[in-house]
Amino acid sequence: MPVEYEEIESFIREEVAQLTGQPAGSITENTVLVGTGRVVDSADLVMLLLAVEDFARDKMNAHFDWSSDSAMSEARSVLRSVGSLSKHLSQLSPDA
Amino acid sequence: MDTVIVTGASRGLGRFCADQLHSRGYRVVGLGRTPPEDAPYESREVDVSDSASVAKALKDLRRDKSVYALINAAGIASMNLVVTTPPETVKRIIETNLLGTIFCCQQVAPAMIKRGSGRIINFSTLGVPLAIKGEAIYIASKAGVEGFTRVFARELAPHGITVNAIAPGPIETALIAKVPKDKVDAVVAQQIIQRQGTPEDVWNIVSMLLSPESSMVSGQTLHVGGA
Repeated sequence: MPVEYEEIESFIREEVAQLTGQPAGSITENTVLVGTGRVVDSADLVMLLLAVEDFARDKMNAHFDWSSDSAMSEARSVLRSVGSLSKHLSQLSPDA
Repeated sequence: MDTVIVTGASRGLGRFCADQLHSRGYRVVGLGRTPPEDAPYESREVDVSDSASVAKALKDLRRDKSVYALINAAGIASMNLVVTTPPETVKRIIETNLLGTIFCCQQVAPAMIKRGSGRIINFSTLGVPLAIKGEAIYIASKAGVEGFTRVFARELAPHGITVNAIAPGPIETALIAKVPKDKVDAVVAQQIIQRQGTPEDVWNIVSMLLSPESSMVSGQTLHVGGA
């Protein structure tokens, strides 16, 4: 069964909240992950990406390639915000 | 049991270190283009200059919290003047020595980050500070490794992982088997300690960096013999 967008975003919001020590309610889809106004430092971002990689594999049977050129290009990065990362994940295709 | 991944484990310093680690009770995963059949530890075939090959060979270890250390000993050399070195040789040396080190670090670091500790040991050369004529491409690749080591050390420090480089002078291995003795002697004469180093000398530094007591040593290049 495909994982719903809401479940993905909820997972990411909870992870960000845990990493930053902020209340889960204060993390929204607009919460910035990279660039100006980011809430996570580089070390926390790596931890978040590892958690997301596990989530994609375990829950979605998909591969989240966070070292790809598109993922790490800040201008169009899927890592811009909680929302963009959630959307990217929801669009991943299950591994064959 | 802690796992140590060793690249270039087919021969030379990589093989020596892998054997030492195995005899001291580590689980060793040796990587090489032609894995040795006589190794008493697990060996996997990989071309470190190919990121896809590295990812495939280490896929199962990416999430393995037993991974404690990565020793990037894979390397090739070619003594030649810059103007007479074929472009393909230049490319091969940079890809194996520099990109190979980076690709392996990229693949293995996530396991150490999850673990919250780890050791990465890269290999440079005494040729970097000594600027040995005829080794410009090799030294360029290793100077890149040293720069990468310093920056990667900063990136991994928050996760309890140290990243260092060992820079040996001419050690008696297959890498310098074809280098004339007078050339080797000339390099040794420029070392602070004017004795040709042995694989044991290199292992002693590897062993020191692997120890828990070395947790405050990171981003450094240790010159075997001194320069």
